[in-house]
Amino acid sequence: MARRRTRNLGTNIAALVIAAFVALPLYWMVASSFKGQADITSSAAVPPHPTTSNYGNAFSNYGFGTYLMNSAVVAVTTTLIVLALGIFAGYALARLPMRGKTAIMTSLLMISLFPTIAVVAPLYLLLRDIGWLNSYQGLVLSYTALMLPFAIWILRNFFLTIPFAMEESARIDGAGPVRTVLSVILPQALPGVFTAGVFTFVAAWTEFIIALTLNNEDRYRTIAVGIALFGGQYTTPYGTIFAASAVAMLPIALLVLVFRRAVVSGLTAGAVKG
Amino acid sequence: MTSTDTRGRPRRTALQRRSARLGWTFASPALLVVAAVMIFPIVFSVVMSLNKVAVSGNGFQLNGFTGSNYSVLFHAPRFWHDLEFTVLYTIFTVAIEMVLGTLVALVLERLTNARGWMMALLLMPWALITVVSAELWAYIYNGVYGVLDTVLGTVGVHNLNVLGTPLQASIAMAVADIWKTTPFVAIMVLAGLVMLPSEIVEAARVDGARAWTIFWKIRLPLLRPALAVAVLFRILQAFGLFDLPYVLTNGGPGTSTESLAVLGYKVLFNDLEFGPGAAVAAFTAVIVLVFCLLFLKVFRTQVGEQED
Repeated sequence: MARRRTRNLGTNIAALVIAAFVALPLYWMVASSFKGQADITSSAAVPPHPTTSNYGNAFSNYGFGTYLMNSAVVAVTTTLIVLALGIFAGYALARLPMRGKTAIMTSLLMISLFPTIAVVAPLYLLLRDIGWLNSYQGLVLSYTALMLPFAIWILRNFFLTIPFAMEESARIDGAGPVRTVLSVILPQALPGVFTAGVFTFVAAWTEFIIALTLNNEDRYRTIAVGIALFGGQYTTPYGTIFAASAVAMLPIALLVLVFRRAVVSGLTAGAVKG
Repeated sequence: MTSTDTRGRPRRTALQRRSARLGWTFASPALLVVAAVMIFPIVFSVVMSLNKVAVSGNGFQLNGFTGSNYSVLFHAPRFWHDLEFTVLYTIFTVAIEMVLGTLVALVLERLTNARGWMMALLLMPWALITVVSAELWAYIYNGVYGVLDTVLGTVGVHNLNVLGTPLQASIAMAVADIWKTTPFVAIMVLAGLVMLPSEIVEAARVDGARAWTIFWKIRLPLLRPALAVAVLFRILQAFGLFDLPYVLTNGGPGTSTESLAVLGYKVLFNDLEFGPGAAVAAFTAVIVLVFCLLFLKVFRTQVGEQED
C-alpha cells in the first residue's frame, strides 16, 4: 500500500514537471501580451501594469483583422473541399475492389510527409502564369492538394471499421451509391470526419511557406505570414505579436478541446495499426 | 479452381468490375487534385533543376538541359554545410524527442485522474502556429531582455546571448522544436502502450520481474512497431524544417542554423535563382523519396490491407 502511494507520488511529480515544461512558455506568451511598451522588456511573472493596448494595436495598426479573416476563409474553404473530396476517395479506397489500392495508399502516406519546399517553386510559377498569386483560390487549391493525402488516409481507416452489412442493406433498399455513402456510411464514420476536418483546419491555419510565397500582398496575407512580418527592421513589437498570437490560438485551442478524442485518434492513426 | 485473366489474377465478376469503376469515379477527383498540385510540381522541380530557367515579368521559360544548377550547388560549401546541419539536427532532435516522448507516455499511462487534462495541454504546442512558437522562443532567448537570461542569472550564468553563437543557436532551436513536438511523439507512443497485451506484463509481474526489467525486456520490444512509425514520421517532418529557423534565427548567425528548405527558399525567392533553387528543392525531395523507399515496408505495413 505504502509502495503504491510513493509510486503515485512519483508519477504525479513527473506529470507536474511535464505540465510546467509545456505550459510555462504558453503562459509567458499570454502574460506578455498584456504587458505595455514599458513592461515588455521586464521579466516580471505577472504584468506589473496589465493593459489590453497590444490587442487594440494589433487590429488597428497592424491590420490583424484582415489576416484573421483571410486565414478563416482559406482554412474553412479548404477543410470543406478536402472533406467533400476525401470522403468519396477514402470510401472508395477502403471498400471498393479497385486494383492498386495498396500502392495508392502507400503513395498518399509518403506524399503527406514530403517537404513542402519541393513544390513551392513550381506552384509559384504556375499560379503566377494563371494570375492566381495573391488570391484565395490559389492558396485553397494548394492547401487542398497538400492536406488531402492525410485526410484520405484518416477517412479510409475509419471506413475500414464499418461493417459491410450496411452497404448490403442499403443496396437492397434501392439506394444509389452516392446516397449510400452520404446517408448510410457517413453517419457511422462521423468521428473520422471530425478527425480529418480538425487536422485539415489546423494544418491550413498554421501553414507558412506556401502562404508566404503565394500571397505576399498585405491584403491576402494569412495569420502566420502576418505575424512573421510584424517585426520591423530594428524592433520587434513582441507585445503586439503575442496579442495577435493569443487571438490566433483561441479558435484552435477550442477546436482541440472540443474534439480532443478525434485529434488523439488522428495522431495515433499511424501507431495503432500495424 | 478459380479462373484467371491473362495476368494470372482471379477473373472478376461483373458486379466487382462495376464496383471497381465506381471506386475510380469516387476516388479520381481527389487523386487528380493531388496528382496535379502535389506530384506534378515535385516532378516539375526536378525538371526545372535540370534546365536553364529564365524568369521574367511575363512568365518563365525552360531554356534547355543543363547540369550547371547541380554543379553550382555541389561546389558551394554553404550547401554541404546546410545538408550536414539538416541531417545532424534531424538525428539529434528526433532522438531526444523519442526518448522524452516515451518517458512522457509512460507517465501519462500511469496517470489516472488527470490524464484527459494532460492530453489537452499536450495538444496545445502541437496546434500552435510554428511561426508563433518561433517568435515566442525568440523573445525568451532575446540577448538583451529575454527571460532565459534572467532565469539563468539566478544560477550565476550571465550574458549567454543564446542566438548569437552557432552551437548555442542550434541547441536553442532544438529546444523550441522539442517543446513543440515531444507531445506529438508522446501521444503516438501512448497509443502503442495502451494496445500492448496486458497479460504478458501481468505474468512477468507474478513471476517477480522488476518494473525496469519488464519495461526493457517485454514492453519496449513489443512497442517497436509503434516507435518505428513515430521515428519515420518525425524524421521526414524534421528534414523539411523551414518555419522555425526562418523566423527564429533566419538561418543565423551567419548560415549556421540554415536548413536545406531555408536555403532553397532563399535561393529561389530572395536571390531569384530558380535553377539552383529548384536543384536544392529537388535534391531534398529525392533524399526524402529514397528514404521513403528504404522504409517502404513500414509504410506498407501501415496500409495493412491486402490487395483484393
